[in-house]
Amino acid sequence: MFDDGTPIYRQIADQIKAEIMNGSLEPGGKVMSTNQYAAFYQINPATAQKAFRELVDEGVLYKQRGVGMFVAEDARERLAADFRERFFERVLAPLVQEARQAGISLTDIIDYLEAQEGARK
Amino acid sequence: MPSLENLTLPNRQFALGLGIAGEGLKYFKYWIVAAVVLAFLGPLALSQTTEIDLSTWFYTANIGKWFTAFVAGGFLYALVPNMIAAGLTRRELSVAMGLFGLLWSVALGALVFAGLLAERAFYDAMGWTQGVQTGDTISALGSWSDTAVFAAVYPLMYLAYFAAGAVIGAAAYRWEGSGWLLLVPILPVVFSLDNALYDTEPFGPGWMGFLGGFMDEWGRVPILIGVVAVAAVLGLAARQILIDIPLRSKKA
Amino acid sequence: MSFSATLRDVTLKYRDSDALADVDLELEAGKIYGLLGRNGAGKTSLLSLLAAFRKPTSGEILVGGEPVWENAGIVSRVALIREGGDFDDSDTVKSAIETGQIRPGFDTAYALKLAERFELPLKKKVRELSRGKRSILAAVCGLAARAELTMFDEVHLGMDAPTRDAFYKELLAEYMDRPHTVILSTHLIDEVANYLEEVVILDKGRILRHEEVEVFQNMGATLTGPAAAVDEIAAGLEILAEQQLGGTKSTTVAAFEAGTRERAAAAGLEIGPVGLQDLFIHLTEPNRNGA
Repeated sequence: MFDDGTPIYRQIADQIKAEIMNGSLEPGGKVMSTNQYAAFYQINPATAQKAFRELVDEGVLYKQRGVGMFVAEDARERLAADFRERFFERVLAPLVQEARQAGISLTDIIDYLEAQEGARK
Repeated sequence: MPSLENLTLPNRQFALGLGIAGEGLKYFKYWIVAAVVLAFLGPLALSQTTEIDLSTWFYTANIGKWFTAFVAGGFLYALVPNMIAAGLTRRELSVAMGLFGLLWSVALGALVFAGLLAERAFYDAMGWTQGVQTGDTISALGSWSDTAVFAAVYPLMYLAYFAAGAVIGAAAYRWEGSGWLLLVPILPVVFSLDNALYDTEPFGPGWMGFLGGFMDEWGRVPILIGVVAVAAVLGLAARQILIDIPLRSKKA
Repeated sequence: MSFSATLRDVTLKYRDSDALADVDLELEAGKIYGLLGRNGAGKTSLLSLLAAFRKPTSGEILVGGEPVWENAGIVSRVALIREGGDFDDSDTVKSAIETGQIRPGFDTAYALKLAERFELPLKKKVRELSRGKRSILAAVCGLAARAELTMFDEVHLGMDAPTRDAFYKELLAEYMDRPHTVILSTHLIDEVANYLEEVVILDKGRILRHEEVEVFQNMGATLTGPAAAVDEIAAGLEILAEQQLGGTKSTTVAAFEAGTRERAAAAGLEIGPVGLQDLFIHLTEPNRNGA
C-alpha cells in the first residue's frame, strides 16, 4: 500500500489532496474519520491524525467540533496553486534531466507534446 | 474455575479461594466417593476370612493426609504462574490459598469424622472391634467418645499437612530443582507430631516420625498446640515464599 | 482510562549479569509502542517488570502513576501475554479462557467470539494444541482481558502469515474501540511498523532509542547513482551498506538530514527508503561505534 520512503501520514495527506483535485472529494464535503482511515489502511490512528492535522494547518480541511472533518471551500484553488508549483519541480525537472541524459532535445519533447495535444483535438 | 464472572476487586481473593476449593473437591469427587465406598466394603469382604479388629477408616483418614499435602502443593505449583499472569497479586493468591486450605481441611475432616462415627455404628452392629494400630499392637477405641475424640482432630491434621504441601509447592516453583528439598526438614516434624498425637504410625515412612517418641509423653493438649503452631508456621512460611515469587521465564 | 508506564533508574540482575541497567523510560498512556531489540537485549525483562511478574533489583516502576508491585487495582488491568501463554496445560481451552475472569474487566463474550473466529477448539486440552493455535489462544486471552496496558511478547510465534494479519487487525480494531496502551515486542518489525506510534529500541539492557516511528522512517536512505556522485554525498555520513555494479553505486546511509536530501536530489541521485527493520539491524550492530 505504502512505499516506506515518505512518512505514511504524508502519503495519506497527498492522497486526500489528490482526491480533492480529481473531484472525488467535494469542497464542503465530509472526510472519513481518522479511525476509518486507520482501519482501512491498517495504520495507527495517530498517523492518520497527523495527516489531518497537516491538512488543517494548510487550510485544505477544517474541523467542526464533534461532527468531523470537512473539505475547505477554497481547497481546490489552494491545491491547484500548490500543485502547479510542484508539477514543475517534481515532474518536469526530472523529466528534462532524464531527456538530456538520453540526448533528447527540448524541441523534440515540445514537438511530441504538441502532436499529442493535436491528436486529442 | 466455576463462575468467576463479575468478580469485584476488593473481595475477589475470597471468591477465588471458594472457587478453588469447590473445584478441588469436584475434581476429586470420584476418588473421594471410591475411598468412602472402599472403607465400608473392605472390612465386609475381609470379615469372610478373618476377624475384624482394625478400623479401615483409620487408613482412609491417613491417606487423606498425603492426599491433602499433594493437593496443596500441586495446586499451588500450577496456580502461581497462571494466576499471577492473569493479574492476581501474590497477596491475593496467598489469601485464596489459605481459604482453600481451611475449607478443604474442614470438608475432608468432617467427612472423616462422620466416617469414623458411622464405622463405629457399623462395627458395633456387626460385632466387630474398631481399633487402631499403635506401635506393634492394636488398641481398641473403647467407647463412642473415644472414637469421637480420636476423629475430632483430623481437620487440624489436614490443615498441617495442607500447609506443609503448600510450602513445598511454592518452594518447588520458586527454586527449580532444589525447592522440594524442604521436605527434609518439614516431613519429620509433621510426622513426629502426627505420631505423637495418636502414638500410632503415620501412614508412610514411619521412621520419619522418630521425634514422636520424645513428644508423646507431653500429653494430648501440648501436642495439639504443637500441631496448630506447626500449621501456622508452615502457612506463614508458604506465604513468605510466595509473597515476592518471580514468575519463571519462558524456555526459549 | 489508559495506563502510562514509567521506569525510573531500573536495574534487574539475574545472578551476576545485568538484564537491565539503569533504565529510564516514560511511556505515555494510550499509544501503541513497538519494543525492539536483539535476543537478550532485555525486552522480556522489561515487560516482566511492567507486569509485576518480577521485582526489579533496584529502581521504581509506575504503571498508571502507581507502583505496580502487588497493586491489585493496577495488575488486574495490566496484561502481559508471553509466547505460548501462561496456561494450565491440563485445562480445556474453554476453562483456560475462563481463568481470565479473575480480572473484573475480562470480556468473556468477546473472548469466545474471537475463539470462534480463529477456530480454537474449546473442548480440547491446551496441551493438545499446535504451537500456532496455542499462540492464538494466548493472543485471544490478551485481547479479551480489555486491560489498560496490554503487552504482547513475541506472541506471533507459530502463527502463519494470514493469522498474524488477522491478529494485528483485531488488535487495531480493539484499540480504536477502546483506547488503551499497547506494547508489541516482536522480531517481525516491518510487519508491525504501520501499527506503531512510537518505537523503543533496547540494546544490551539499555534504552538505545525512543522516538516516534516517523523519526525512524526519515532517518536513513539509500542513494543510487554514479559511484563518484554517491561517494561525494555520502562522505562523512554513517554508511550502513554499500553495493556496486559497474559504475553505479548504491549506498545506504543513516542520519539522513533534509539538507543532504536536497543535495542528493540536486546531484540527480535516486533516493530510496530504508525500512525500520534494516535501520534497527544497523542501530543494534554489535561492532557499531558511537551508538
